[in-house]
Amino acid sequence: MRIFDPHIHMSSRTTDDYEAMFAAGVRALVEPAFWLGQPRTSVASFTDYFDSLIGWERFRAAQFGIRHHCTIALNPKEANDPRCREVLDVLPRYLAKDGVVAVGEVGYDSMTPEEDEVFARQLKLAISHELPALVHTPHRDKLAGTRRTLDVVKESGIDPGRVIVDHLNEPTVGVVAESGCWMGFSIYPDTKMDEQRMVAILQRYGTDRMIVNSAADWGRSDPLKTYRTGLAMLDAGFGESDVDKVLWQNPVAFYGQSDRLVLDELPGFAASAETFAGNSVLRGGGNT
Amino acid sequence: MTFHLGYGTNGFANHRLDDALRVIADLGYTAVALTLDHDHLDPYADDLPKRVDHVAGLLDRLGLRSVVETGARYLLDPIRKHYPTLVCDSPDRRVDFLNRALRVAEGLGADCVSFWSGIKPSDVDDSVAWRRMLDGIALVLDEAEVRGVPLGLEPEPGMFVQHLSDALRLREELGAPRLFGITLDVGHCVAVEPVDAATCIRRAADLLVNVQLDDMRTGVHEHLEFGEGELDLPATLAALSEVGYTGVAAVELPRHSHAAPVVASRAFAALRGACVAREHVATEPVVRAEPASDSEWVSDVDHPWLVEAEQKVRRDPASIASLFPAVGRKVGREPLRPETDPQGLVHGTVDDLARMRLLSVLAEVLEPEPLAEELSKLYRYGDDAERRGVLRGLTVLTSVPAGLELVKDALRTNDIRLVAAAMGEFAGRHLDDHNWRHGVLKCLFVGVPLAAVSDVDERADAELLRMVGDYAEERRAAGRTVPADAVTLLEARA
Repeated sequence: MRIFDPHIHMSSRTTDDYEAMFAAGVRALVEPAFWLGQPRTSVASFTDYFDSLIGWERFRAAQFGIRHHCTIALNPKEANDPRCREVLDVLPRYLAKDGVVAVGEVGYDSMTPEEDEVFARQLKLAISHELPALVHTPHRDKLAGTRRTLDVVKESGIDPGRVIVDHLNEPTVGVVAESGCWMGFSIYPDTKMDEQRMVAILQRYGTDRMIVNSAADWGRSDPLKTYRTGLAMLDAGFGESDVDKVLWQNPVAFYGQSDRLVLDELPGFAASAETFAGNSVLRGGGNT
Repeated sequence: MTFHLGYGTNGFANHRLDDALRVIADLGYTAVALTLDHDHLDPYADDLPKRVDHVAGLLDRLGLRSVVETGARYLLDPIRKHYPTLVCDSPDRRVDFLNRALRVAEGLGADCVSFWSGIKPSDVDDSVAWRRMLDGIALVLDEAEVRGVPLGLEPEPGMFVQHLSDALRLREELGAPRLFGITLDVGHCVAVEPVDAATCIRRAADLLVNVQLDDMRTGVHEHLEFGEGELDLPATLAALSEVGYTGVAAVELPRHSHAAPVVASRAFAALRGACVAREHVATEPVVRAEPASDSEWVSDVDHPWLVEAEQKVRRDPASIASLFPAVGRKVGREPLRPETDPQGLVHGTVDDLARMRLLSVLAEVLEPEPLAEELSKLYRYGDDAERRGVLRGLTVLTSVPAGLELVKDALRTNDIRLVAAAMGEFAGRHLDDHNWRHGVLKCLFVGVPLAAVSDVDERADAELLRMVGDYAEERRAAGRTVPADAVTLLEARA
């Protein structure tokens, strides 16, 4: 099984996870910029984080044979904090970078006027930088939030084929399917979606424009949920090619619209034990 | 263009040296290949130091970079041309002459001293001549070390060492000394090499310390003006750019002194024309058809996008901010020497080289202070690849403190590609001993080959060896292997 995890926060994960992901078939991923789990207090904290997404984390992933890409944005939660909003001014600089394949995560958290404004402004950035957009849907008041999200997308003028609306579930998938946007599902141990319900959605709505991710982060989550969803699909009677479409071809088609995906095998990775021997990350030392 | 076009003073034998230098500079050349001769900075003159100072000052005022050539015909013996040589029975005067040339080169601030083997006397067999070459070069290398001036061995048709492969083999047998480089005459390649000049250039690559430009016909050792022989001049110049050659490439027409100013002017026009042709030809990406062998490397640096980007930066220096992040997407990211350096830690990558070229252009159009500011910004807001490009291009900076800030920042990271790029030429030249030693140790620690570090032989001191020794001890105590580079370093100094 070859897997492209289109939404996973690797900065919060360990090298064990990278190894397990590679063993399960993950060869590429997208790490969206998001909240840190506690509020940031300045723009500098964002830029250090962005620098890590386009530098250190990419390097770390490469050592485990995984191609790392990211999305860059001011997340909806922190769009409400005036200390953070100025980060919007430095976004263009990051949106020009090699590993940046979309503007995201954008969207709603509490559906405030500030979130409205920041969301619309960042969709404009996506258009002007010719990048797709990754849209997060709120945890609370989800259906209303998803409807309002689709309205803002429509108003912005961005092609719905260049937008993925993420963290969907049974009540919200229908409206997004009708909109022409791509549909993202985060498979979690206890919240959001699980593998069995995901399979049921695929049976009902088909595999077109369907994208499955682990959205693993610092919370209780599992970076192998993509793989487990693939297994559940096979158990339910889907073919290998259906699994490949959902876990590889679809995310590649969506993020490929950036023209910045790099998916060839990492040079010399087959011989990783020799090639990277002595590297500090693989060795576990971090303080050289 | 990454290198400096020059003209050889042996093509101005009927001029006073000062006059020759002025004519060469006025024609637009930015370098000179200075052949020491009885009337051109005679190395046996009583007041040599004064003369060297005078010429150094003139070169400086004229903005000419230099290399020293040692091919004078009757400087050591008034009867026998080129005598004595390194392969004859008593080479002492040749060794003494080469040592003097090294001291002159040091005084001039020249890039290197070029030399050749000489013709093998008929009664000397090959093994003896080879031994004499090894011994003679070893003696001259001692002086080269003292002076800190590289030597360039020039394969010369009809002489004992006449092919590039022989020169490279000699170098290997001497243990690949750091100061033993190659001087390549591209006309000689046409005359006697089995492959063309561009291929020879790629083969010698970063061993090149001096290049001589002239035309020739296959099998005929006669230095011709461009266009009179079979040399593909645009492809030859493109190959020099491609390997990242930054030294002197000087026209070598030693039998044209009778009309030197006219010939030199024609040569300059031909070179400029070839550069334009090269940029014009490069409307298609340069992709070589032949399969890659161990001496080949991948390169798309003459990609039309890069040529255009260089022009944009020249017109509008601020445009580099938007061009810099796009380099990898446009020209590729392959390592320059995939066979020996798959991660590009030692020789860098295609995008590294392209970014260095953009920085060279930037350095030509910006004053030192704005240049330092722009490089700091490109680094600060760059991703890993952009930062690597800035680090590898730091030698364009005249502001040392600004560059050192970036080197130190990179050495604090754990990205081995940044660490490798940080320990290049700029750090070798300017980083203080303490930080430099820690940089070397970090390379050993994270697995950056020491080949990526500049000036290891020169700067490795007792304190570094102590640190490396302690590190090796720590590895052994933990039952781990000691990195091969650490062992080599310790053994070399044992």
